[in-house]
Amino acid sequence: MRWFGFGFNAFAQICDVDKSDEGESCAAAVKVSSPTELSEHVDGNRRWKTSQITASWSRRAALHGDGELRDSCVCVAGFGSDVSSCCGTCVAHSYGCVNVFISETHLTLAFPHKIETWDLQKKEETPSWSMDLEAQSDCFAGLTLPLVPGGYIQSNPPFYRPLSAHMGAKRLALGAEHAVLLTASGAVYTWGLGSHGQLGHGGLTPEEKPKPVEALWGMIMGSVSAGGWHSVCVSEDCSKQTGASSPEDPQEEGKQEDVFISIQAFPALVDVTPLCEIRTVSCGSRHTAAATTAGDLYTWGWGEYGQLGHQTFSSSDEPQRVEFFAAEQIYVVDVVCGNWNTFVAINEEIDLRIENKHRLEHLEI
Amino acid sequence: MASLWRKILSILPGNEEQFLLQFSDRVESSVQEMLKVCRQQLYADTSSTCRMLHAQIVLDVSWERLNTGTWRHVDKDWRRVYAYGCLFKAAALCREDPTEEKILQAVRTCDMGLLMGAAIMDNILHVVVKLLQSEIRRSHKAEEREEEHEAKRIKIESPNVPVIQDERAVLRIKCPSLESFNTGYLRPLKPVILEGIIEHWPALNHHAWSIEYLRSVAGCRTVPVEVGSRYTDENWSQTLITFNEFIDRYILNKDGDNASGYLAQHQLFDQIPELKEDIVLPDYCCLGDDEGDEDNITVNAWFGPAGTVSPLHQDPQQNFLAQVVGSKYIRLYSPEDTDKLYPHQSPLLHNTSQVDVENPDLQRFPEFTKAPYRECVLQRGDVLFIPVQHWHYVRSLELSFSVSFWWS
Repeated sequence: MRWFGFGFNAFAQICDVDKSDEGESCAAAVKVSSPTELSEHVDGNRRWKTSQITASWSRRAALHGDGELRDSCVCVAGFGSDVSSCCGTCVAHSYGCVNVFISETHLTLAFPHKIETWDLQKKEETPSWSMDLEAQSDCFAGLTLPLVPGGYIQSNPPFYRPLSAHMGAKRLALGAEHAVLLTASGAVYTWGLGSHGQLGHGGLTPEEKPKPVEALWGMIMGSVSAGGWHSVCVSEDCSKQTGASSPEDPQEEGKQEDVFISIQAFPALVDVTPLCEIRTVSCGSRHTAAATTAGDLYTWGWGEYGQLGHQTFSSSDEPQRVEFFAAEQIYVVDVVCGNWNTFVAINEEIDLRIENKHRLEHLEI
Repeated sequence: MASLWRKILSILPGNEEQFLLQFSDRVESSVQEMLKVCRQQLYADTSSTCRMLHAQIVLDVSWERLNTGTWRHVDKDWRRVYAYGCLFKAAALCREDPTEEKILQAVRTCDMGLLMGAAIMDNILHVVVKLLQSEIRRSHKAEEREEEHEAKRIKIESPNVPVIQDERAVLRIKCPSLESFNTGYLRPLKPVILEGIIEHWPALNHHAWSIEYLRSVAGCRTVPVEVGSRYTDENWSQTLITFNEFIDRYILNKDGDNASGYLAQHQLFDQIPELKEDIVLPDYCCLGDDEGDEDNITVNAWFGPAGTVSPLHQDPQQNFLAQVVGSKYIRLYSPEDTDKLYPHQSPLLHNTSQVDVENPDLQRFPEFTKAPYRECVLQRGDVLFIPVQHWHYVRSLELSFSVSFWWS
């Protein structure tokens, strides 16, 4: 898949930009407002495909696969990484990785037979935490990080937190102070602090243990996502719900006259017009991005670093289509958000349509 | 005004090496790196845009940490990071011959650092604010006349003063000795009004607190204001505005929409040291647990127009409520009668009664009328002793400024 990125780039986690102290180019280096294609991973004369991206505040990790040789590796770009190389620094001992997860302090790699969590701040010889998966069983199959067999991984000790087996955990999203869990039966559970209404139980009280979101009872949910202080889930039939706080209004600078900080403590349907089916959703600290089955990308929330992709630095309460992709008829298939940026995967086959289109246009001239 | 930048430089460390940035590893290396970039730009020839950009990154990331978890668990180092962000931003605003608007923005930024951040570099933000304020004052000499008329405008309102019945009146004593106060009131936890004990305060003498004076000392400073009639109401909220804006909008009512605003329960005197010099810690605080150790005494400012209400509630410490400007109607109930006061159940409001004291709903709260109480009109120069856990209801009768001292 080819990937594009936009938003916060102060650590060159999206792309390397010529930095100078001049006002304009400084701003352009730090905030990438227009979707920019990520460099490919080139190793020798093999071009690897990027199958997965995960991003934190200052970094971006990419899982590259070489389909033919069934090999894979992980590269990390951003703070502390080699800017000059194509896509960051290749992580030693990452060959064979099948799933990757990054936080501001740790990088977790899942392999067929083990899972390891490495400290990104200290150069250590051994992982901070690891787990051996039984050789025969594919107990990691079907799970994605931060879920691991029997529980999940967090970025601070104790890294491993158990989850009750009967929950049937399928997907887990971690916010700054809460967690959102999707079970195999399509139910959603949340726990953690709830002072912004992000747990979706209708109040602001914290929950120590996973509690089902009753407002979604009866609906089969297909995916969940968590931002800093908000939660989003998508029903299996691709309509949408969210339970959220107001991630967009945190500005204390008070440029607006009457800023009302609103709390949405129950899940509310997100209005995406025109009506469309959502394929995937991802949340940054204070913004949300959704890719539709029609290949469009919608974003909303905090936009001051260009993370909404509308080529401005304004925030938006309403979902808006990212015209960059629509204009070029680029078909968006996946979206992953870092804290203050957004990464978008596009379908290569559709690209050929574009290439042909350009070739034809060229001929006409 | 390029001299302003020179003055700011003179209070900063001489160079990068002397500007220390030390944090625990709770602050990730990436953030520490960003702080170092800001520091480097401070002493280099970086453009204002670039400096602002990087300072804002520090502010945005630390702001998120300040909003993660409960406030009292926020790591102090993150609050320091936020304060550094404010310092770098204020410096960036003042770098290139700033307009008055930029200077005011810098003051506001420093205030955010003082309100939300933790002390850095020997309280450098206080020093910066002082510099910026003197810069603004220099261009404002001419406008001082105007404000004198404003004060007269406010005096005209006649307060709706409740008549205090003698048998319910809070006792008053004049300048009691430490011993007699201790024996007669502190030990038995009996409320009383102390007269004459703050006569010497500069706030009542050569620095008499008036609208003009407060504007001159603190006009451009940002303070937290409670909006909405009382904190138990659904539409109650807090906002951050300058002292000038607060006075214009909520005291003088210049925008005419009669919104209710109260500068309440704010440690103003930590934020604005000049005002701290106008008040004195009551001697009687030394009768407390730690002999009146200042560090353990919380001093709050309460400044607002007529009609501000604090619903009936109790506090976990002893309180001296000093009245400096105007007057307040206060009612007191003993903790022994808590059962007749219908406190809220929720953990957040369990120290607050559900009853509206001056307009009680006796159908919902029938026992309320059976609760005995004391009441008073607290006047300028009075200090009310509210014993720990004693329920109290307060309504300002006119423009009012009180200072409370919470001690144990």
